Amino acid sequence: MAQEVEETMKRIQSHKGIVGTIIVNAEGVPIKTTLDNTTTVQYAGLISSLADKARSVVRDLDPSNDLTFLRIRSKKHEILVAPDKEFILIVVQNPVD
Amino acid sequence: MADRKAELERKKAKLQALREEKDRRRREKEIKDIEDASHRTVLSGGDRKELDDLMREVGVAPISDVFSSISSANSLTPEPSRNHTPETSLQPNSLPNNVTALKRKIPQLTVVSVQSTNIPPKEVVVYTKQTQTTTSGHHDVRDAHATDYYDEYNLNPGLEWEDEFTEGEDEESSLPPHLGGFGGSKLPPGILPHGLPQVKEVQPAVTALEQEQQKKEDLKEVRELSEEEKQMIILSEDFQHFIDRAGRIMERALCENVDIYMDYTGNFGEEGLDEKSHQRISFQRNFFDDRWSRNRTVTSLDWSPQFPELMLAAYNNNEESPNDPDGVVLIWNTKFKKTTPEYVFHCQSAVLSATFARFHPNLILGGTYSGQIVLWDNRVQKRTPIQRTPLSASAHTHPVYCMSVVGTQNAHNLISISTDGRLCSWSLDMLGQPQEILELHRMQSKPVAVTCLDFPHSDVNNFVVGSEEGSAYSACRHGAKVGVTDTYDGHQGPVTGISANGVQGGIDFSHMFLTSSIDWTIKLWSLKDSKPIYSFEDNGDYVLDVKWSPTHPALFAAVDGSGRLDLWNLNQDTEVPAASVYVEGNPALNKVSWTPNGLQVTVGDNQGRIWVYDVAENFAHPRHDEWNKFLYTTQELRNNQVVDELEKLNISIPSMPNSSFSSMGPLSLTPMR
Repeated sequence: MAQEVEETMKRIQSHKGIVGTIIVNAEGVPIKTTLDNTTTVQYAGLISSLADKARSVVRDLDPSNDLTFLRIRSKKHEILVAPDKEFILIVVQNPVD
Repeated sequence: MADRKAELERKKAKLQALREEKDRRRREKEIKDIEDASHRTVLSGGDRKELDDLMREVGVAPISDVFSSISSANSLTPEPSRNHTPETSLQPNSLPNNVTALKRKIPQLTVVSVQSTNIPPKEVVVYTKQTQTTTSGHHDVRDAHATDYYDEYNLNPGLEWEDEFTEGEDEESSLPPHLGGFGGSKLPPGILPHGLPQVKEVQPAVTALEQEQQKKEDLKEVRELSEEEKQMIILSEDFQHFIDRAGRIMERALCENVDIYMDYTGNFGEEGLDEKSHQRISFQRNFFDDRWSRNRTVTSLDWSPQFPELMLAAYNNNEESPNDPDGVVLIWNTKFKKTTPEYVFHCQSAVLSATFARFHPNLILGGTYSGQIVLWDNRVQKRTPIQRTPLSASAHTHPVYCMSVVGTQNAHNLISISTDGRLCSWSLDMLGQPQEILELHRMQSKPVAVTCLDFPHSDVNNFVVGSEEGSAYSACRHGAKVGVTDTYDGHQGPVTGISANGVQGGIDFSHMFLTSSIDWTIKLWSLKDSKPIYSFEDNGDYVLDVKWSPTHPALFAAVDGSGRLDLWNLNQDTEVPAASVYVEGNPALNKVSWTPNGLQVTVGDNQGRIWVYDVAENFAHPRHDEWNKFLYTTQELRNNQVVDELEKLNISIPSMPNSSFSSMGPLSLTPMR
């Protein structure tokens, strides 16, 4: 089972231009990461609060709705966030040209 | 008010407990001291409060008016003393108490400021920590911040409280509470000078960075507990579900690299598309998984009836890694650009045939080298089969090279045939034993070593099979003559692929079928004729598979051992393929299959790679007259053949073994229309 997690992480990581993959729990605590510690902590804290905020926005607009995916494009990176009930998968990639 | 106080107390106690726990982990000795101190404070606070309450209850009404003047005088005096002489600040505990006992009016709110002095003892602890932390490192600093924050949180309600009470009072009373907050820090005599400025700085900082700090604290905790806990989480089922789902979504998202910043006013990219559109067949992509499909021959391809983008591929064993499971089945998604399989399934024996269970979108069936039929379910987090048929004489004991699900939603069966000629039909609800068994024998009770099978479109009873001995057979499951009904001899080597024409249209061609063989040829047959209508002899290697297009009646695809993929359009040319392409690297191509819409051809090679080719739309889609044309074409082929045969007979060289004169007879034998 744990091996499948590794496999999935590896698969994602093997995509072109991937900077890092982080899995955090609902509290924003990183569970798995491919980045260094400080970056991970930074991403985990900031992205999870952003995801929380985004989810509350979606839910406030329509209580029957829910956030399913979050994509943030910036000049340097793209951050993909797949939030779930208890965990959040964060992938940071460089734009592929 | 009493409620509020109690609540405050409770919160305080909670915080206390939390802090204690944290501390205990690090330094037990220190904790004891802290605990002692904090206990004292809690107790004293509680006692005093009780006193307050009692006094208020008992004496408020009568004495308040009398002592009001005194209280105001008192309130002025103790405060400055506290501010200016911190050494005495431990004592004020008792002093204010007395004061409160005397007064009950609002001015006694100085008493409340005394409350704030209750809290300070905790802060004392904090400050001792802080001095240590500043020297030792980051984490402790954070701790101090956090606890400051909590304490302040406790103070604030107290302040509000005071304000309520001091409404009638002057600015004098409004000052003390603010100072009271710092007053707490004064209590430890020696540390006072450090404490005061620090508190001031911390308070605003904390409120601003509230969230972040909390989070940091959390993170820190995890770092402490970490590895085992993480492992626990990772092994939890919730996490498994999450990673499965989120990973899938993420991969799809990652592959959708559509350039949304496309600027059409700017330069255009390379214009390779034009060239492509002129080709009848063009390479689109390939599917390959380093871990699961390397060095494995593709043995079977199938498309999901429910989700036309899903392709099922079965793989043979990988001889270079004997530790991996022999049989692998992967489900690929042609819709998304992601390069990894959607699902991975495996089993102990090499999978030689696989099919979606047509009416159960979640089930995948595999026929194995051992003779077992295995069943996977993509709803369970399991890569191994959830069910398998027994390995006994009542079922298959030889390799199962072909399987098919036939019937309707309410009545369908899985038909599987093993190389000993045994056909089993199964109910998917009961894989324990086959519903019926049929032995396929050639006339002299010689079992038919079946290598491939096809059912004409929407037929559940009649089918055609190819065999190792080079013959094709038609057979039926039920009826007057169960078993092999007809033999079609013609190939000189094992038949590798068989395909019945399944295109619906004006004219039914379901009696036409194609066979491919090791003898380098593809043959076109009619069920009504025991000798081939035509033999395609353009290949220079084993022809390993052949498939009619699902949309065009005269179009079919064939692959051979030299890596060549051919598309034949019999209405255009019967001598040479209408389009052909060599797969990169020239691997032997083992399987070919059309997408249900007929616009793509996929081929599986012997190295575990599946190649997807686009077929030009104008080439894949039939025009209205294609059916009539095809009828005409086949008629012509037949005529040519008769002419050829007559010539041969005239020269009296009987070349075709079983075909002499049979063209007249067998028309009535197979009622397959």
